[in-house]
Amino acid sequence: MSSSSPLRDQVAIVGIGCTEFSKDSGVSTLTLGTRAILAALDDAGLPPEKLDGLATFRVGDSVLPAIVAQTLGLRDLRYYVDQFGGGSVSHSIVGQAALAIHAGIADYVVCYRALNARSEFRMGGTGRPLVDAVETQYQAPYGYFVPPQQFAMAARTHMEKYGTTEAQLGKVAVTQRAHAADNERAMMREPISLDDYLASRWVVEPFRLFDCCLETDGAVALVVTSAERARDLRKPPVLISGAAWGSGQTLYSNQQPDTTRSAAADVAPRLYAMAGVGPTDIDVAQIYDCFTYSVIVQLEDYGFCEKGEGGPFVESGATAAGGPIPVNTHGGFLSEGYVHGLNHVYECVSQLRGEAGVRQVEGAEVGLSTAQPGYIAGNASALVLRRDG
Amino acid sequence: MSDAAIFLPFAPVPDRDSQPYWDALAKGRLSLQRCDDCGTLRWPARAVCNRCHSFASHWEDQTGSGQIASWVRTHQAFAPALQDAVPYTVVQVRLDAQEDLLLIGGWRSDREPRFGERVSLEIVDGPEGFALPCWRPSND
Repeated sequence: MSSSSPLRDQVAIVGIGCTEFSKDSGVSTLTLGTRAILAALDDAGLPPEKLDGLATFRVGDSVLPAIVAQTLGLRDLRYYVDQFGGGSVSHSIVGQAALAIHAGIADYVVCYRALNARSEFRMGGTGRPLVDAVETQYQAPYGYFVPPQQFAMAARTHMEKYGTTEAQLGKVAVTQRAHAADNERAMMREPISLDDYLASRWVVEPFRLFDCCLETDGAVALVVTSAERARDLRKPPVLISGAAWGSGQTLYSNQQPDTTRSAAADVAPRLYAMAGVGPTDIDVAQIYDCFTYSVIVQLEDYGFCEKGEGGPFVESGATAAGGPIPVNTHGGFLSEGYVHGLNHVYECVSQLRGEAGVRQVEGAEVGLSTAQPGYIAGNASALVLRRDG
Repeated sequence: MSDAAIFLPFAPVPDRDSQPYWDALAKGRLSLQRCDDCGTLRWPARAVCNRCHSFASHWEDQTGSGQIASWVRTHQAFAPALQDAVPYTVVQVRLDAQEDLLLIGGWRSDREPRFGERVSLEIVDGPEGFALPCWRPSND
């Protein structure tokens, strides 16, 4: 394959770790983070003292990487990122780690996210200060300030403009719950039917309870190193073929007249060009599902179907296990838990290693994992991963 | 539902760019910045034009007429102060003045909005001396 991108396949994910996902971890985000980091290092077969880079993202709700470094006794941290931001930057921190490794800044970087998003700092805003953004003043006085409202606003337009139905939103939730039944990490494994979905209470119309992801306590960590070093480690390397991130327009920037197109549409062409693949080459996809609608809009914006066709595409069963493009094989944030993006990368790596057990997508070689598609801050990021060899 | 929700403690916190916007609303006017050089209207308030990067602009009163681009109806109280307010409707209005001016606002009607319907501006006074743009159906 031509190497039009100097970064393609040069860096790998070699270790993955996570904590239990729960509604009340009973421990600090520092404890959660260190548990996941040590688990990921162990998975890679790396002694902790090898670690020389740490990257995380937060919205004022978690522990600083410097504290994690001190806690682990790391004395030679050469690379750190403490990114302010939500799920939209969950994949860009991995892309940035790849840049740092390829440039020789650090050898082994851990990307992690630790949060007590149910027991301490709820994204719903309950008991928590409002987000520090210039747009807040124009929205909060109407009682409009949480993610389900923002995404529901865009989803409504999509439904009106393209005829996307409640049943199609529901199909996302039902499909992913069926996937979670086979995932021992998942918080919600009881199957649901479309009737169960339609009977679930309204949160923010047009979203019901089952349109919304699970507020979760937990942590995920990923070990990243060069492809060359990766081949000497314990597990089969999963190469970073493509990494792209970008910032487009928010819903409120007055430069985005069509809210049914997300910032993912700006990122996707660069992502695929770097990886040298297109959507038809993707064997398994983990698509950021803070809400059901975000799966539908990204299926369109990452090119799996035409704009406006995301609802019928899901309804056809295309994204279910055994379908042409299995999506959120672990159950996603809707059923496994919400670790703000990084549990999608965890599942993608599991699939490409062939370690996903009964959920395994047979012969999966190329995977897509995506971040929040930019509806609030305008940022989006994503990775294309490939099994080595 | 006929009363647009204006919920303390979520009073607007103006910044140095937006103070004139809130001052105008308090006097019953929806005023937006228009670039002196290229004529583009902008919202939210910013010091610089996103199209031509000019820092020269003036505030221009708007009729506020437009159409419904979207709406949501919130059933879950996301803060204790909203417990008695739910359910309530918030609309997104596309102003006639410019295609990419999508404003969030309160809804002043007993019925649900309809996609694309014509709406008229109604400025509603809040309890602490500020006022908020809200919209009502133009044709009811």
